[in-house]
Amino acid sequence: MNKFWLICKYEYLRHVRRRRFLFALMSLPLMILLMIGAGFLAVWAEYDNRPIGYVDETGTLAQARQVTPEPGEWFPDPPMRAFADETTARAALDNKETQGYYVLQAQYLNDGSARFVTIGQAKSATESAFKRFLRYNLVNGQPAAVAQRLVQGPVLEIRSLGGTRTMGENVLFSLLFPMVIGILFLLVINTSGSYLVGALVEEKENRTIEIMVTSVSADQMMAGKVVGNLAVGLTELLVWIAFGLVTLAFLRANPAQMGTFNLDSGYLFLAFFTLLPAFVMVAGLMAAAGATASDTREAQQIAGMFTLPVVVPFYLIVPLMESPNSPLSVGLSIFPLTAPISLTMRAAFTDVPAWQIGISLGLLVVCAVGAIWVAGRVFRLGMLRYGKRITLREIFGKA
Amino acid sequence: MSNIEVEHISKRFGTQLAVADVSFTVEAGEIFGLLGPNGAGKTTSIRIMLDIFKPDSGRVAILGGEMTEEKKNHIGYLPEERGLYQDIPLERCLLYLATLKGLAAPEARKRIGTYLEQFDLAQHRQKKIKELSKGMQQKAQLIATLVHRPDLIIIDEPFSGLDPVNTQMIKDLLVEERARGVTIVMSTHQMQQVEELCDRLVLINQGNVVLYGSLDEIRHRYEAQAVTVRCDGPLPEAIAGTHSRQRLNGVTRLELAAGASPQVVLRSLVAQNVVVEQFEIAVPTLDEIFIRVVQGGGAAG
Repeated sequence: MNKFWLICKYEYLRHVRRRRFLFALMSLPLMILLMIGAGFLAVWAEYDNRPIGYVDETGTLAQARQVTPEPGEWFPDPPMRAFADETTARAALDNKETQGYYVLQAQYLNDGSARFVTIGQAKSATESAFKRFLRYNLVNGQPAAVAQRLVQGPVLEIRSLGGTRTMGENVLFSLLFPMVIGILFLLVINTSGSYLVGALVEEKENRTIEIMVTSVSADQMMAGKVVGNLAVGLTELLVWIAFGLVTLAFLRANPAQMGTFNLDSGYLFLAFFTLLPAFVMVAGLMAAAGATASDTREAQQIAGMFTLPVVVPFYLIVPLMESPNSPLSVGLSIFPLTAPISLTMRAAFTDVPAWQIGISLGLLVVCAVGAIWVAGRVFRLGMLRYGKRITLREIFGKA
Repeated sequence: MSNIEVEHISKRFGTQLAVADVSFTVEAGEIFGLLGPNGAGKTTSIRIMLDIFKPDSGRVAILGGEMTEEKKNHIGYLPEERGLYQDIPLERCLLYLATLKGLAAPEARKRIGTYLEQFDLAQHRQKKIKELSKGMQQKAQLIATLVHRPDLIIIDEPFSGLDPVNTQMIKDLLVEERARGVTIVMSTHQMQQVEELCDRLVLINQGNVVLYGSLDEIRHRYEAQAVTVRCDGPLPEAIAGTHSRQRLNGVTRLELAAGASPQVVLRSLVAQNVVVEQFEIAVPTLDEIFIRVVQGGGAAG
């Protein structure tokens, strides 16, 4: 066991210490920062804090109040300025005192008809700001709870077909969550798989294999390599998630809102216990493939093949959502290579029977252990026979 | 006591028979030569001994029984296919390999420091392996083989890539290890090194043992029926106990007649007042025995 940890630690540190890893680690946050920066610049370039004028022919905005900006908001809505008639509003616009003005026509409350006058092109930010101002003042006088509810708009709630699970007050997040989990799974498995096959081929190219197998068992070595390289991928993931949260907090997007998504802990546990053996299984299969390859490129091509069945559920997302208990959905969530994404998706939309979860997780664990065993076996047999392929009969026969 | 017992092992890869029938034992505290031409089955035999491959038939006992994970910590192996992690510094690489042999990191660091000094590699400890010369890498690999003070060392061509100074250093080191009681199995093509170092040997050809025993026994077995003589002046025409002669670079090789002993020849030379400067029983070199056995076929000893 001690040697397993030694290998695990060595594999982990050798990647993490490399400059290449730091570049890979920072590439995504830097890209996001660049995108945010570009977005920020675009908003800044378009931002106009001159007042927005309005002529209210309906009289509903007679007692209008300005929308209170959030404290620390970088681009608060410009102030709204009332004009008695369109002539004075036009004069202010021509004097560049306002960026434009709305005319709420007499029948506005019946048919919503309004007009916007500006010089040049209308900006979407202007329209959004004025809509906020309108909503804020139209519900004025209602009880606070009603006003808040009216401003908030529709809220959908997804309930599982059995009715025992409710997913998310924010419907978009609830729908996206299983997909995000799947994408993160693929991201980690691809990154780790790439490191893993690279490490195995390197072992072959450096001819260190014989030293290794006369120091540790092939199983221990393979398990150490798989876990060590998986940890590298998970480190990247954790750093990116942490970066995402810090960025959200920095941008003053309310991170507390994340906590209001009504994901039950059972679902998260299921996702965790499905994905963990799945990681090991796919990594083990990639390792077995990597052990038979003669160079890094070939190894990565073979390893990439194992991610193909893993992504199949993404293509079948519609039948999975529409009929989460159909034979197809059940089959996909039990077959080990499609289970990681299918099971987490199904569980989001239905109550998956315990026996199905049991079979699915049991198969994943068995396959994970089996994949490590096969990888160790292939490694031991294949690595010493440079340039020769090994057969399935040899893998499962006497070494 | 035997440290390695190999009994009738065989191994086939597909249609190729790598080892047909090999048996030998290696005694504790000896340097044992594992010899044979290229493709004879030496490396496969070593890999079977080390449990890298399972034999198709036969059995191997190493350090008193089957290979275990614990026993791996007591074995040092320098494989034919040399290799170290190229992209990491020398010291870190050696430390990793030493800890995989069960050595605690502080002790491993201490021993590696001593070896690096001894092998003249101390100033290169922070260099990446790929930046070292072939000879330096060879020495580094030897450190990895010895650092955990194994009870059994198996080394494949330990002198390849080394200059005469380093070759001598390694020879001294192997002799020191033997004096410490370590058992050493050495596979090499350099017969001169085998003659200098090995106590016993086995010669494998085409997957079979063709020669096996102590160096003296084998030499004696292949002793030629001839003597070499160097003398002051020409040799007499008639020398008792010989049937032919051959002049070779200042010495004359006299082939003995059937039943004649070297003493008869010497007595005849002295009786004819020949001033003998050198008189030797023609003992074949290991090189000669190797070639004779491999080319002419030979019985297992």
